[in-house]
Amino acid sequence: MQIIEEIKKNELVKNPSEIQKICLEKLKLNPLPNIKSELWRHSNKSKFLSFLDYSHTKKESKVNFPYDNASQNVIRFTIGENSSINLKEENYSIRKLKDSEIFDYIKKNISDFDQTDHWSDLLNHCLSSKNNILGLNISGNKIPPIEILSASSYNSFNAKTLILFFEKNCEANLLQINLGDKNSSLCQSTYLCLEENTSVNHGVVSYGKNKSNLLNSLNVIQKAKSEYSLSSLHFKFNYARFEIRINQLDGDAETNIKGIQITKNEDQIATYTKMQFNGPNGILEQINKSLADDKSHSVFEGAIVVPKIAQKTDASQLSRNLLLSKHAKIDTKPQLEIIADDVKCKHGATISQLNKEELFYMRSRGLTLEEASKLQLSSYFQEIISCIPVSKDRWDLLDKLLKEA
Amino acid sequence: MQSKTKEFNPILEVNNLFASTENLPILKGVSISVKPGEIHAIMGRNGCGKSTLSKIIAGHPSYTITKGEIKFTGQDIQSLEPEERAQSGIFLGFQYPIEIPGVSNLEFLRVATNARRKFLKKEELDTFDFEDLVKEKLDLVKMDSAFLSRSINQGFSGGEKKRNEILQMALLEPKIAILDETDSGLDIDALRVVASGIKKISNEKTGIILITHYQRLLDEIKPDYVHVMSDGQIIKTGESDLALELEKHGYEWTDNFSKKQ
Repeated sequence: MQIIEEIKKNELVKNPSEIQKICLEKLKLNPLPNIKSELWRHSNKSKFLSFLDYSHTKKESKVNFPYDNASQNVIRFTIGENSSINLKEENYSIRKLKDSEIFDYIKKNISDFDQTDHWSDLLNHCLSSKNNILGLNISGNKIPPIEILSASSYNSFNAKTLILFFEKNCEANLLQINLGDKNSSLCQSTYLCLEENTSVNHGVVSYGKNKSNLLNSLNVIQKAKSEYSLSSLHFKFNYARFEIRINQLDGDAETNIKGIQITKNEDQIATYTKMQFNGPNGILEQINKSLADDKSHSVFEGAIVVPKIAQKTDASQLSRNLLLSKHAKIDTKPQLEIIADDVKCKHGATISQLNKEELFYMRSRGLTLEEASKLQLSSYFQEIISCIPVSKDRWDLLDKLLKEA
Repeated sequence: MQSKTKEFNPILEVNNLFASTENLPILKGVSISVKPGEIHAIMGRNGCGKSTLSKIIAGHPSYTITKGEIKFTGQDIQSLEPEERAQSGIFLGFQYPIEIPGVSNLEFLRVATNARRKFLKKEELDTFDFEDLVKEKLDLVKMDSAFLSRSINQGFSGGEKKRNEILQMALLEPKIAILDETDSGLDIDALRVVASGIKKISNEKTGIILITHYQRLLDEIKPDYVHVMSDGQIIKTGESDLALELEKHGYEWTDNFSKKQ
């Protein structure tokens, strides 16, 4: 709770920037999130406090990618590593955003943030130093896959920020990897802005080690005729929250969200999504899966907001959950807030266990219960994981990690 | 009744078997003995316990044996898990083969085949060797290799599912195959393909139990013995002409046998 005490005493940051001042001011009166609010009521208090338990550090040890980085035609960045970025190729260009562009963008965003909805982002901007903010402007197509790594350091609290602007007609595959080191907390805020006619396939893979914590916030703005696909996987965290806010600014855009979270031991992983349609003819397809084992707790809350202006919206949201242990717990709440009257919106949730008839079928062919369960679980993952833009050698790593999970 | 293969010991012996599920008695004293090379048919009304008998032999965990025994090659198998029974050579062809989305049919077949081969102390097959083997077996049931790349039974027609069951039987080379209504949902052509596959796979070392409602399967595969089940018991056993009598008179005819008992 050292961080919270420092916010209260105005001692968190020496010589704060203008952004930090604004955020600190917003948190000063109520430095902790409101645990009675819908967004936080399932949060395990002691686990959340353990998230805040590490001292904040701007410096960190060098982060190693968890795989060989030479074998693929991939553009790779690590948040926190200072490097000048200015790639200009025949079909595309990637340049680092100027400090003033980053400042203007964050300032514009945080002016609307309230403490309850955006506590994670406000905390991030209080702590994320200039070095730990990566901003990129991406344009063109035929762009090699982009990988962006964010990581926490052992026994530390790290805050990292990523801002990506995708210019008109841009097509990109982006893989974001969040790594939690042992006994650490990572506070990651990501902003994506998709201009008209862009198509972004975004994968988020987050995994930790022993007693890792993660606060992962994703804010996406989609302009008309843009297509945004998000496929995410969160596992191996003591405590993790994934907050997704997507705003179809003018409608007439397409959003596809697929996510899976895997909890074991006494982990708690929660996903919150808010899909806001601010114009007509918007499309959403969303499926969130969770798998809870041992004494773990998995949470999903999803809101689809369709105001009057968003006529002809076509949205669906499904939460599918697999409970593997009688001591595990799953809370799920898909919800619709619809004002517009000419829309197609549906939502649903299921909680089940491994299908006994499927298991018996496989066992009756000689597969052991363990082999049959693994095959069944892998089929459960497959729908989500197969959409993550991960190349072959990364797949091998992911496969290995999932087998350990 | 004399066995045509009396020189062999039975592969499967079910002796006075009583079984229930959720405290509901279903089998009430079933006995049947199958020797190598024999083909037995079990017929009976819906709900008489035919499928339950097949599942209990295969080790389905939802059923409890309350009395009696099941011996496979002379050993009591009651304590064996379903996979141990399968690995040792018991095969159940499902009436409703299960769809398992996301699990590759090819990979499933390979793992299953290798589990059986391991039990038989044969060398396990790698992906390439297995593909050669499975393509050879596909011909038996006239299946296209495209089915291998799909998920297990997902999107398969009724006939394709049943062919996939027989393909599995061909790969696993069981000692005893219990085929639960393999003919249901098949058109005449598909029935002939499936029956031809079964005939090609069966040999003098394999015992087969066909569970069926109809004579049309037994026209293709002539059984040595026909058993009529009613209310959890085998009420009559005869040779292949018993099935013809059943076809002629219907199951009402068998009610007399129950009453006599």
